[in-house]
Amino acid sequence: MVLETQNLTKQFNGKGGFKEVTLSVEKGQVFGFLGPNGAGKSTFVKTMVGLLHPTSGFAWILGKPIGTVESREKVGFLPENFRYHDWMTGKELLTFHAELYKIKNPGKKIDELLELVKLKGHESKLIKNYSKGMQQRIGIAIALLNDPEIVFLDEPTSALDPVGRIEVREIIKELKSQGKTVFLNSHLLSEVEMVCDEVAVINHGRIIAQGKLEELLKEHTHVEMIVSDYTSELIEKISRLSKEFQFKEGKLSFKVEDREKIPIIAKMVIEADAKLYQLNTQTSSLEDLFINLIGKDEVS
Amino acid sequence: MITIIKYTFKEMLKKRAFLLVSILSLLYLSIYAFGLSKIFERPSNSIYDIIFQSEILSAGLFFANFIVAFLVVLTSVNSISGEIESGTIYSILSKPIKRYELVLGKFIGLSIMIVLYSSIMFLSVVGLNIWFGSKISFGWDNILKGLFFFDLGPIVFLALIIASSSIFSTINTGIIAIMAYGIALVGGVLEQIGTAMQQSQVGAFGLKSGESLINAGIITSLILPTDVIYRKMTAELLTQSSGISFMTQGLFGGMSQPSIYMFIYIFFYMVFLLYYGAKRFSQRDL
Ligand SMILES: Nc1ncnc2c1ncn2[C@@H]1O[C@H](COP(=O)(O)OP(=O)(O)O)[C@@H](O)[C@H]1O
Ligand SMILES: [Mg+2]
Repeated sequence: MVLETQNLTKQFNGKGGFKEVTLSVEKGQVFGFLGPNGAGKSTFVKTMVGLLHPTSGFAWILGKPIGTVESREKVGFLPENFRYHDWMTGKELLTFHAELYKIKNPGKKIDELLELVKLKGHESKLIKNYSKGMQQRIGIAIALLNDPEIVFLDEPTSALDPVGRIEVREIIKELKSQGKTVFLNSHLLSEVEMVCDEVAVINHGRIIAQGKLEELLKEHTHVEMIVSDYTSELIEKISRLSKEFQFKEGKLSFKVEDREKIPIIAKMVIEADAKLYQLNTQTSSLEDLFINLIGKDEVS
Repeated sequence: MITIIKYTFKEMLKKRAFLLVSILSLLYLSIYAFGLSKIFERPSNSIYDIIFQSEILSAGLFFANFIVAFLVVLTSVNSISGEIESGTIYSILSKPIKRYELVLGKFIGLSIMIVLYSSIMFLSVVGLNIWFGSKISFGWDNILKGLFFFDLGPIVFLALIIASSSIFSTINTGIIAIMAYGIALVGGVLEQIGTAMQQSQVGAFGLKSGESLINAGIITSLILPTDVIYRKMTAELLTQSSGISFMTQGLFGGMSQPSIYMFIYIFFYMVFLLYYGAKRFSQRDL
């Protein structure tokens, strides 16, 4: 595991932050950490890179306990509220950060990264004169200077235009193809949906759903059926296999966790000698799921 | 840590405060030189002239020291707190760097700059006095020892500011720095007056109130020992190896000599401040 946490909690005087987060991220994954503003995403990432001290629980990065210098050796980090020393030029800034990593002869790496984040030609301008989007891109370059095993990106596209967003997505895919692990914080579903293999959804500091993207999607296939000549026993059986079950005058509406349940239910109807007139399924997008989960959490 | 030292030094040279203080210093040195040229115009021989010249030198160093202290405050109050407040610290401390390295690196980087600056100020003032024909005779050992203590004061002050900047906000550090410096200054003056009272007045009253002023002075020296160091500097500069002292009484001179214990205290004062500042900084949530 590249990253692992056990009941990790960080709160500020008993408030905010995140609670009892148990996660594990495998090598080579693009892991999406999804949640609305104020959910605790930035707090989590800042705890991972040692900027915040956890209240309780444990966490390891590449097997090293967080908070230690060793745990940060192979880590890249793009902070959410990124700000860089604006009296330096782009090149000076990258050199400074390369030196902080104790990288010898960083020139080649810096050129490579300037190319990657499309800042070639701007490297001798002062950071002061960079646009917000350019600063975010140089932040991404800084996060990649040390060839990290895992990169934490906290809302990496917040200052970027649609083209910039696509470019960041390409960078993430490129990192994935190099076998690196990416931990992506985002409140944008579309962003997570497009690049992530695995997702954890956080709200009010707690993980409320976690898993492979496809599995999370599968979990919520909505089914609508119209049947006649049914027995109450059959209806009862179907309701036990599903969630959010509704039934009214031959019309069934429910959700199933697993798409494989759909043919099973269809078979049950046939075998019970009922007549099946209609069966519609709709696999919800992660966005629906997201709104659903947040909504449900809000209620409980 | 070398990187932090290097870039702290670089950043300082680019700060507006540094430019401002440099201009102020040049202005000051020009005025001082002009004043000296007027004072040394007339020939001097009497012992009173030497006393007067000693006063002029002390005054020159006093204000030079003040300007250096001003530079220390302006360039260092936000050394750590500013990085936190602007958010630049996130990308630094998320690297494989220990937090104390940042505190110590900043301290060393700023120290180098301050020692250079302070030395230039000291040598300029002393040099101008020699140039214009001061009757005070300095040996190299006087000048070097004087220089050492002239530079030590601002470094001790810097240690206090860095520690505060690691724990508190920039604004609070500014308040702490100015208050500590003010208290040390006032305390030093009180101690001088106390010593003068004890020496000049024979009555029990003079002795007693003189003593309480001295005690007040000692307490303030414990809070920030810059004034003690400053007096030590004057003593070292103006006391000849032959034992003849050009030291004079007065606002800028020094009468009471700090003890060796004071210097042991100063050493631990700096070490403790940096240690405590770094420790508290390491425990902070950023
Ligand atoms: N330094 C802090 N002190 C007190 N509360 C904080 C601090 N940082 C974050 N919080 C609180 O913790 C919660 C999570 O914040 P954050 O991690 O920034 O959320 P997100 O990044 O998901 O938008 C919020 O309620 C926020 O107010
Ligand atoms: Mg955030």
